[in-house]
Amino acid sequence: MTRGAMLSLPVVLAGIALAFAWHIAVGAKTVPLGTVLTALTSYDRTIFDHVVVMDLRLPRAIYAVLVGASLSVAGALMQGITRNPLAEPGILGLLTGASFAVVILVGFFGSVAPVWIPLLAAVGAATTAALVWGIAAAAPGGSTPLTLILSGAAITAFLGAFIALANLLDQESFESLRVWLTGTLSSRAPAVLWWSLPWIAVGLVIALAIARQVTALAMGDETAVGLGVDVARLKALALVSVIALTAASVAIAGPMAFVGLVIPHITRIFVGSDYRLIVPFSAGFGAMYLLLIDIAARMVLAPVEVSTGIISAILGGPFFVWLVRARL
Amino acid sequence: MSVFVLSGFGGRFSWQLHRGALLLSVVLCATLCSIIAASLMSGSYPLTIREVGQTLFASAPSDTAKTVVWQFRFPRTLVAAIVGALFGLSGAILQNITRNPLADPSLVGVSQGASLAVVAAIVVFPEINQVWRPVLAFVGALAVAALIQSIAMQRTQGATMRFILTGIGVAAFIAAITNAMLTYGNIDQAQAALGWLAGSIHAVGWAEVWSLSLCLCILVPLLIWAARYMSVLRMGAEVATGLGLRVRFARMGLITLSVALAAFAVSAVGPLGFVGLVAPHLARRLAHSGVGQHLILTALTGAVMVALADHIGRTAFAPIQIPAGILTAILGVPVFLFLIVRQSQTRQL
Amino acid sequence: MTLIATKLDSFDVKRVVPTSKSRLTVKNISVGYGGAAIVKNVSLDAAEGALTILVGPNGCGKSTVLKAIARVLQPMSGSARLDGTSVHTIPTRTLAKSLALLPQGPIAPEGLTVKELVSQGRFPHQTLARQWSAEDSHAVFAAMQAADVAGFADRRVDSLSGGQRQRCWIAMILAQDTDVVLLDEPTTFLDLKVQVDVMTLLRQIAHHQNRTLIVVLHDLNIAAMFGDKIIMMRGGVIVDQGPPDDVMTRRNLARVFDLDAHVITDPASGRPVCLPVVAQ
Repeated sequence: MTRGAMLSLPVVLAGIALAFAWHIAVGAKTVPLGTVLTALTSYDRTIFDHVVVMDLRLPRAIYAVLVGASLSVAGALMQGITRNPLAEPGILGLLTGASFAVVILVGFFGSVAPVWIPLLAAVGAATTAALVWGIAAAAPGGSTPLTLILSGAAITAFLGAFIALANLLDQESFESLRVWLTGTLSSRAPAVLWWSLPWIAVGLVIALAIARQVTALAMGDETAVGLGVDVARLKALALVSVIALTAASVAIAGPMAFVGLVIPHITRIFVGSDYRLIVPFSAGFGAMYLLLIDIAARMVLAPVEVSTGIISAILGGPFFVWLVRARL
Repeated sequence: MSVFVLSGFGGRFSWQLHRGALLLSVVLCATLCSIIAASLMSGSYPLTIREVGQTLFASAPSDTAKTVVWQFRFPRTLVAAIVGALFGLSGAILQNITRNPLADPSLVGVSQGASLAVVAAIVVFPEINQVWRPVLAFVGALAVAALIQSIAMQRTQGATMRFILTGIGVAAFIAAITNAMLTYGNIDQAQAALGWLAGSIHAVGWAEVWSLSLCLCILVPLLIWAARYMSVLRMGAEVATGLGLRVRFARMGLITLSVALAAFAVSAVGPLGFVGLVAPHLARRLAHSGVGQHLILTALTGAVMVALADHIGRTAFAPIQIPAGILTAILGVPVFLFLIVRQSQTRQL
Repeated sequence: MTLIATKLDSFDVKRVVPTSKSRLTVKNISVGYGGAAIVKNVSLDAAEGALTILVGPNGCGKSTVLKAIARVLQPMSGSARLDGTSVHTIPTRTLAKSLALLPQGPIAPEGLTVKELVSQGRFPHQTLARQWSAEDSHAVFAAMQAADVAGFADRRVDSLSGGQRQRCWIAMILAQDTDVVLLDEPTTFLDLKVQVDVMTLLRQIAHHQNRTLIVVLHDLNIAAMFGDKIIMMRGGVIVDQGPPDDVMTRRNLARVFDLDAHVITDPASGRPVCLPVVAQ
C-alpha cells in the first residue's frame, strides 16, 4: 500500500503542475501554455504576457495551492480527531469565526497591518472551535456528528448576522471585504501571503508529525491510549495545526467552505486510512482541486468571474448530502 | 383543571381548550398591538399615540401623518406581523411531522429554494410581474422539500437526523447557486435581489399586505382542519397508522402546507431565519396546550417576534435600517443552541 | 355507554373461558420489503379473549406479520381478515375503531402529559367539529384506570420511567377501545419485574375485557408464562403453534432457536419454563 502510494506521488505532483499551468493560462486573456512556461523559466519584463503571468496569474495560482492544501489537511485532521466524517473548518464554523474576527477588527481600526490578519483569524477560529465543541459536548449525547454540525451551523448563522450588521453600519470600511467574504482567490495584497506562510508551514509540519498518532486515534480514544498515545496532547496539537491552517487560508482567501470536507474523503479512496498518507496526499489533492475550482470559477460564466467559494459550495453541497446518505 | 371543553349546538361542536393558553393568546395579542402602535409612532417623523389613533380611526392631524402612517409604517408593520405568523406556523408543522424539534424552513433549505426561484426570476426575466413571486417561491420551495424528503426518507432508521443534515447540505448548495446567479445578473437587479435576500421588510406596501392576508385566509382554515392529523402524526408513523390516519397522505399534505406558508412569507420579505424554529418552542414553553391551540400561540409568537425585530431594526440604528432577518438570526441562534443542549436529553430513552 | 365501562364492571368476574371463536384470521400471507418476501405464506388465527404470542429469533418475521395485520405493510399475497373482511380493504379510520396497534419503542412528543397521550387514542372516534365528548372523557378515564396510570395523569410522559411510559402507551391503545389489540415487543428494555407487570396487565385485558391480543415477544419464558397460545416462527414461516405446553418443547426450541434447553414445568403456575443447557 505504502509502496503504491509512494509511486503515485509523482503522478499527483504532475497533476498539480499541470493544473497550475492551466490555471495560469486561463483568464480574461488566454495565455498559451508555452508562454506560461517561458514566463516562469525565463521572465522577460518587456513581454506583456509575461507580466500578466508573473504579476497577476502566478500569485493567484500560488494562493490556490496554499489554501487548497491547508484547508484539506485541516479537514483531514478534524475528521480524524473527531471521528466525524462531516467535520470540516467551514461546516463547523471555524471559517466564519476567523472571518468574523478579521471583519470586526477591520471595522474598528479601518485597516489592519497584514501581519495581524492571520493572528486575528487564528484567534477567531480558536474561539469558535472552543464554542462549537463546548456546545456540542454540553448536549447530553456528547459531541456527535449531528450536534457538532448543528452548533457549527448555528454559530455560522450567528456570526454571519453580525458580519452583515457590521457591513450595513459601516459600508465604506467593508467595501473591500465584501468579495473576500464569499471566498475568493483574487485581489489580495502579497503582504498577507508572506505573513500567512509561517502559519501554513507550522500547521503542515505539526500535521505530518502527528499523522501516525491520528491513525491510532481513529480506533477510539481508549484504544489509542492503550497504544500509548497521549490523547489530550495529540488533540491539542491537532487543534493548533487546524487553527493555524484555517487562519492562514482565511487570511488569504476568505471563508472557502467544503474544500476541507471533499478532499480528505477523496484521498481516503486512493490511499486508505493511514494518516501518514492521508495528510500529504490531502495537501496535494487539495491544491489540485482548488486550482481546478478556481479555473472553473473564471470560466463558467466568463467574462464574469464567480467567487471561488461559490463554486466550492456548489460542488461541496451535494457531496455533503451524499456523505450524509452514505456514511450516517 | 386548566382544561375545559367548549361545546355548542347540543354537543355537535366541542373542542378541548387550555385556559393558560387562552390567556396567553390574549396577552400575545395585546403585546402585538402595542408593538404595532410603537412602530406607527416612531421614525423620522415621530407621532404621539393620540395622533396615531386619530390617523387610523378618525381624520389625520396632518397630511404628513397620514402619509407616514398609511403609506409606510402601517403596511410595513402589518407585513412583519403576518410574515412572522407564517414562518412560525411553517416551522411548527415541520417540527411536528418530522418529529424533529430543530426543523426550520430556513435551516433545511425550503426558504432557500423559494429564494432561488425568485432570484432566478428577477435576474433572468426582469420584466416578470411581482404577482408571480409567491407562486414561483412556492414551486421552488416545494421542489426543495420534495428533494430533501426523497433523499432523507429512503431509509427509515435515523431519518430525523438525516433530514436535518441533508437539508443543511441542500441549503448550502442552493444558496451558492443563488449567489452565482447574483454575480451573473445585471448589477441593479442583483442589488434589488440582495436587499430582499437579507430579510428586509422596508420595501413592502399594501399589495403585500393584501396578498399575504389572502394567503392567511386560505391557509388558516386548512391548518385548523389539519391540526388533528398533525397531533396524531407527531406520535410517529406507525402509531398514527394504528390510530387510523393515512400517514403518507397526511404527511404529504402537511408538508405542502408548511412549504406554502414559508414560501409565501419568503416571497414577500425574503428568507427570514430562525423564526420558524424559535416561535413554536417559545409558544410551547410559555403555555402548555394541545396542537390546535399551540398553532395559534405559535402564529402570535412569530408575529410578535418579527414585528419586534423589524421595529428594533428600523429604530435602533436610525437612519440605518437593519433588516429583520439579521435580528432574528442574532436572537434566534442562542435559542437554537439552547435547544441542541436540551433536546438530546429528552430524546434519549 | 362505552364498551369499556361495561367491560370494566365485569372486572372481578373470574377468568372468562376463551371462546373458540376467532375474529382475526390470517390466511397464506406473504409480506416483504421491496420484492423480497420476509414472511412466506403464513396462516394463523387469534382467539377472542385470549393472549396470542408470537416468538422467534431476531429477523424471523414476527414483527412483519404484526405490521401486515395492522395494515402498516401491504401483503404481497394472502390476507388478514377481521370478521371476514380483509383489513386492507376496510377504510383505515373504520378499522382503527376495531383494531389497535402499539409499535415497538414508540416515542411521545416532548412535553406531552399522560392524559394527553391517552386522549390521543380517541382519534378515530372524533370528527373535526366534535373533538371532545363525554364518551371520550369516559373512555380515557377507564383506560387510565385499567392501565394504572391515573395516578400521574398530569405528569409529562418524558419524565416517567420506562415501565410507566409503556403503561401509558397501553392506556392509549385501550382508550382506542378496539376489540383487537396488536403489540410489538411491549416489554423490550424493561426490567424483569416491570415486564411481568406489563404482561399481567395485558393478560387481564385479554381475559377480563374479552379482547383479542396479539403480542410479539422475544423472551420465551415470559411468553410461556402469560400466553394462551404461542406461535413460533423462523425464517418467515410458522414452525409450530398451540398452547404453551404443546409448543414449548425441547425439540421446538432446537428447531426454532438452535437452543439446547431443558423444558420443565413451573410447579406454581403449571407453565413450561425453558432452562438452557450449559456445557460444563
